[in-house]
Amino acid sequence: MKHIFYLISILSLFACDSYLDIEPVGQVIPKTVEDYRSFLTSAYAIKHNHKVLTAYRTDELVLDADASGVEQYQDLFVWNDINPSPITSPYPYPTFYKVIFNANHIINNKDEIEGEQLSINQLVAEAYALRALQYFELINLYAKPYKQNTAETDLAVPITLSYDAEKAYTKKSLAQVYDLILSDLDKATALMQIQQQDIGNNYRFSLWGVKAFQTKVYLYQQKWQKAITSATEALAIENKLQDLNSNTTDLPSVYNSVESILALENVGSVDLANNATISEDLLAVFQADEDLRFNLYFDEQSDGRFKSNKNADLKYRVSFRTSELYLTQIECLARLNQESQAKQLLKDFAKNRYTTAGWNAYQTKIDGLDTAELITEILEERRREFALEGHRWYDLRRTTQPAISKTFNGVTYQLEQNDERYVIPFPNEALINNPNL
Amino acid sequence: MKHLLYLLVFIPSLLFSQQSKVITGTVVDHETKTPIIGASVYISSAIIGNQTATEGVLSGAMLGTTTNFDGEFSLKIEDKITSILISYIGYETEKIAINQQTKKLNIQLKQSSEALEEIVLTGYQKIEKRKMTSSYAKIEVDDIEQAGVASVDQMLAGQLSGVSVQPTTGAPGAPAKIVIRGTATLNGSSDPLWVLDGIPLEGNDIPQDFRDKDNIDNLQSYPIAGLNPEDIESITVLKDASATSIYGARAANGVIVITSKNGKKGKMNVRVNANTFITQKPDYDKLNLMNSSEKVDFELLLASRNDLRYQRDRGAVARILNNSGAYSDFVNNGFDALDTETQNAINQLKNTQTDWGDQLYQMAINQQYGVSISGGNDQNNYYFSTGLFDEKGTTIGTGQKRYNITLKDRFNFNDKLEIGVALFGNQNKTHSYITGADAYTNPSNYARNTNPYLALRDSNGNYVYDPDLVERSDLNLNYNVLEERENTSYELISNSLKAILDGQYQFSKSFFINTQLGLQLDFDRSEKISEEDSYFTRKYEQRSRYSSSDGEAYYMPKGGIIQNWNTDVFQYNWKTTANYQTKINKKHEVDLLLGTEFRRNKRTQIHSKGFGFNPNTLTTIAITDSRALTNSLFDTYQKTFAENAYASFFGTASYTYNKKYTLFSSLRYDGSNLFGVNPKYRYLPIWSVAGSWNVYNEDFMFDVDAVSDLKVRASYGIQGNIDKSTSPFVIGEYYTETLLPGVTEESIRALNAPNGDLRWEKTVSSNLGFDVGLFKNRVYITGDYYYRKSTDLIGLRAVPLESGFNFINTNWATVTNRGYELLINTTNIQNKNFRWTSSFNISHNKGVVDEIEIREEDFKPSLKGYSPNAIFAIKTAGLDSNGLPLFWKDGKKVSAVDFFNLEEGTNGSQLTREEHRNLYSYVGDGVPKFTGGFQNNFTYKQFGLRILSNFNIKQTVKAAPSYHLTQVQPGNNYNTDVLKAGTGNFPALIGFNSPGFDTDLVYNWFHSSDDGNTYNDLDIWVKDISYIRISSIKLSYAIPNQLLKKWNVSGLNFFVEGRNLLVFGTDYDGFFDPETYGSLYAQPIPKMISTGLQLSF
Repeated sequence: MKHIFYLISILSLFACDSYLDIEPVGQVIPKTVEDYRSFLTSAYAIKHNHKVLTAYRTDELVLDADASGVEQYQDLFVWNDINPSPITSPYPYPTFYKVIFNANHIINNKDEIEGEQLSINQLVAEAYALRALQYFELINLYAKPYKQNTAETDLAVPITLSYDAEKAYTKKSLAQVYDLILSDLDKATALMQIQQQDIGNNYRFSLWGVKAFQTKVYLYQQKWQKAITSATEALAIENKLQDLNSNTTDLPSVYNSVESILALENVGSVDLANNATISEDLLAVFQADEDLRFNLYFDEQSDGRFKSNKNADLKYRVSFRTSELYLTQIECLARLNQESQAKQLLKDFAKNRYTTAGWNAYQTKIDGLDTAELITEILEERRREFALEGHRWYDLRRTTQPAISKTFNGVTYQLEQNDERYVIPFPNEALINNPNL
Repeated sequence: MKHLLYLLVFIPSLLFSQQSKVITGTVVDHETKTPIIGASVYISSAIIGNQTATEGVLSGAMLGTTTNFDGEFSLKIEDKITSILISYIGYETEKIAINQQTKKLNIQLKQSSEALEEIVLTGYQKIEKRKMTSSYAKIEVDDIEQAGVASVDQMLAGQLSGVSVQPTTGAPGAPAKIVIRGTATLNGSSDPLWVLDGIPLEGNDIPQDFRDKDNIDNLQSYPIAGLNPEDIESITVLKDASATSIYGARAANGVIVITSKNGKKGKMNVRVNANTFITQKPDYDKLNLMNSSEKVDFELLLASRNDLRYQRDRGAVARILNNSGAYSDFVNNGFDALDTETQNAINQLKNTQTDWGDQLYQMAINQQYGVSISGGNDQNNYYFSTGLFDEKGTTIGTGQKRYNITLKDRFNFNDKLEIGVALFGNQNKTHSYITGADAYTNPSNYARNTNPYLALRDSNGNYVYDPDLVERSDLNLNYNVLEERENTSYELISNSLKAILDGQYQFSKSFFINTQLGLQLDFDRSEKISEEDSYFTRKYEQRSRYSSSDGEAYYMPKGGIIQNWNTDVFQYNWKTTANYQTKINKKHEVDLLLGTEFRRNKRTQIHSKGFGFNPNTLTTIAITDSRALTNSLFDTYQKTFAENAYASFFGTASYTYNKKYTLFSSLRYDGSNLFGVNPKYRYLPIWSVAGSWNVYNEDFMFDVDAVSDLKVRASYGIQGNIDKSTSPFVIGEYYTETLLPGVTEESIRALNAPNGDLRWEKTVSSNLGFDVGLFKNRVYITGDYYYRKSTDLIGLRAVPLESGFNFINTNWATVTNRGYELLINTTNIQNKNFRWTSSFNISHNKGVVDEIEIREEDFKPSLKGYSPNAIFAIKTAGLDSNGLPLFWKDGKKVSAVDFFNLEEGTNGSQLTREEHRNLYSYVGDGVPKFTGGFQNNFTYKQFGLRILSNFNIKQTVKAAPSYHLTQVQPGNNYNTDVLKAGTGNFPALIGFNSPGFDTDLVYNWFHSSDDGNTYNDLDIWVKDISYIRISSIKLSYAIPNQLLKKWNVSGLNFFVEGRNLLVFGTDYDGFFDPETYGSLYAQPIPKMISTGLQLSF
């Protein structure tokens, strides 16, 4: 009998590892390219609301003191970064680094991933591009705008290229971050398999998306010629614009418009769409009766005020679209004093946006502008085209950093020209966890 | 199997219609000649078995009875029976020969040589007390049983040395938090392992922080909640490593072994219990809130101060003033300047007083019933019971109802094979209403915050909504506690079945194999229903808000919300042991055990939600709006599944020499499922060694008459634990995501940060103890000293967000716990009519965090050198002339501006985190310095009086502040402390431009920039609590035997008991009980008076 007992225990010892080998339902250690694809999808799905929150800082909106939920935004609206009310919506920070963690994990394990090499290359290319995008958004929120002569010394944000909870995270220079972004985009370009994503998958990067993103990076670095080249490369893949004269079924910024290159970021929210109205300032730059965008973008309320139509609905996700490529190209040409080419392209672009009568007037106006006026006009056009689409704050920063004055609850608030509040301080949660910031 | 069936059917005696006769007799103690009550008198199957062996085991059927109160018995037997057996615990079994003439017997039982030999059940082994080397505490449940207590954990308060038992909240079904010998972890659960008849129970951990609102509002089932205390015979707590190491890694916090009742040999015994208990209404006045008159005056005071602007338009006074347009008039010219109408309206308010105590709390009459049937003979013994426990809570709308059924049976098939089956089934319903919609809607907290003049219904009987419980300045979702109680329900139904099957085969006198299979099936169903007209529903609807062309709209369908959580837990635990016992030359005793244990548990939870719920048709409405797809709050179905497996191998060896010296050691390897776990931690070794010396058996003790028992013990052991949530790999969890309309994809989210460096937590424990009996054990003392060192404790550490995570698990601390325990049982007086016994225990535990990683980002000081529950506070130094708090810095009184280094134009304090940490001082330990209990039992003739008490000495508690100096607002009610603001140590109420030096800085600091919440840490909120609670006073009366005989019953007792009636100690003003001092959410601990009877026949 004793022997039997020994036998049982010895047998069970052998059987033990399989007894204990439980693959938990719902959990996985990513191995295959399909696993890693899902892993990247979860990174794409992480939402940042900075495009919404920075809209409150711009001159695009008006906030009523009695609007519902206004407590979360009023301090953003009046640039009170020093002692905002505790219920103020915080600017995103950790979410960017969460995306970066996923992207890093894919990049650093690229040789371990099992599956078809081309799919792996596509995946890794997207991971590079997505990582670059996170750093780009971070520096546009929390670092000074790029200036060639100070970029080496201007401190931006910490760089994380692999997981390490022990190391000290210190701020790297703006130049270093830009270098990383550009090198990531180069690697993405090299590995990228897909020229253009299908509608529905176009939240993912494609070569088209990478080139559009590169265009933006060069624009922000004031590398005009490089921006033009990148834009040309991107437009070579696809260059359609939505002509609002013939198609006003939906906004040109929606994910399934012909213009959509990357439909990733949220630019609207319930509160922004419902409880804030469009500023007089912004309304004034539109020729409401000639500009076909006006009725498409804005919705008039019974009190005569306007609300933005770009709301929290998923279809309004947008990061890059062809309009931006055109407008960037036009701006860069103008800045390189290639005035006539810029004017022609601008007019061609505007044809898709104005009524025939409006377009005729517009052409006359453009023809009469000198270079400085032309640049101003191009920026105004950008302002119109990308109203409440998450561009304005960045454009204000990278261009003139003008003075803005706002009234809230009867009190006037002022953002001075080149005000230091054009750089948003790191959120409290980031400072609490990282005293090196 | 058929035999089994027959046995179950024919459990009562089977009598053959042969010639029979009746024999009678008395059974007495051989020495004292006192009658032995309840001794078994029976015929062994072995005696008659042979004759009828062919007919199977039935033929040897049980014939037997037990002796009555006078030690008498009478037994009808067949003529041919030649002998009967008489047995009683602690006595040697006598075999008495009988013949045709035998009629009346006088039997004397001798105390067996091991009469005092208590057997200790560890769940794996039965160890004679004399061989026990480890530290344990044992209690008979009969001694501590209290009426009106649903669960045995609450009865343990103050009963066992080294075991701290604290009630968490007074809600029906709420668990008690039990900690054995201090906390050996800084983050994990400190719950002990509950073991029922050898089977470790699965269940939810008791949340660490019971001051947290959600932990109080959530109904949960806990491992032992369903067990009927009436079914429990005794409870043994295993405390040191040598006792618990056999249980492996799960036992790091100690083990509580429950031994359930078994049938005894002898005739069937039926026992009936019936109790009624009246739970008193809690004393709402304990909260020290302002009454209407005080509150209105306070609101007027706030309104009159132009500097206090925080939510100043709230509260009835502000509304009256604003409605009549007289607010500024009042501010400038005072009350007298108001017109009469306004004055009257305000004065009217002072006289409107809602008795919130009556609205929220009640007196409740509750019941508890139980019936048990037990008995047995040589082949079989059985115990069946059923019980009902029905309690309505003192908080109106809460309650608990439990049904129990227990079936146990043991069969001896022959001398060698023994099989036992046990089934414990119960249904436990706890119900409440939805109290957790918001922090303010917890009834205990609402009672503190709501205004005393607020009516709940208007003159037409309609609900009056609280105008001051608002979401935002422009949004009031209309809260009324009566409506909420009426229109929402929250119920948890836990159905539990525990089945234990065990078999033992005795190969020889010295060798047997035992195998035991335990199954636990728990089905927990919770249901939350909120009807359309409820705050919960309205609040939920807000989450579905969107803008449409007609303005704001909601995609949640109109109607109620029904939410269900169905949780199935299944576990099996199969263990097999081989046991070898031998005695060589009467001097060397060897006990060996080898065993394996396999355990697997599965947990499935399904959570479903339905919207547009109609309580009449029980139908819901599907959400068609695509916006709902991206809002997980409107997911209608969710399933989770988890499975774990464990395989363990263990052995123990014990050697005793000459009944004096015992050496014991145990070793266990614990393996568990491997997914993601670092392979080097696949099997954890857990071991212990221990020894004892029975000094009493030494020759030199022979002449020491005063000493009747003396033993010293020592043990040493190592336990380990690995955190399975951390892995060296990136583990992903599946989700689905919809990024763009119409496309839903699978995604994998990173569950944790990869961590390959994590080591297992290790606890090394040593124990030194003694047991001494004096004066024939009339005084019995057990003392223990222990030292537990836990290294590499795993804790959550905040990490730079740049890593991609907020927190990760790391090995970051070493904690030692040392302490001593003393238990003194005495028989103070014993004579024919009167007996007085006492039991006193006291324990002291001191925990010290020896090492802990300093977190650079922490606001609070490191625990290094202090208890894991150390309380740190900021020492205040009274107030300045404007009522602003002053602080001590370098022996000088300084203002908040200097203390926190506040600078104009900056975002708060200019202190580094280290300087911030240095602002704090250690003020005390959050666990009591001493805990214990004192029990006294008096019996005088038929009367019995039992007094149970438990005490906590010097526990430092930091209460939630009764008000915040910058955020006092007229819409809330407050503790009367707020009236003292600006006097004594209570900081004045300030606004941005209140008078004083740099008040704006102080205001900004406390109002918004104080990220470390230092205001909550001011020493004025800290208090040392000590108390002794008389948990039970029970007076009982047993009907005399003479009467019982007449009525043909064997016992009838009546009792009246008062529970929690008295508590002495430091005051706990502002809170209901000293146990829950400082908690805003806890329900009051019920005070009860109960009466009942116990009948047995």
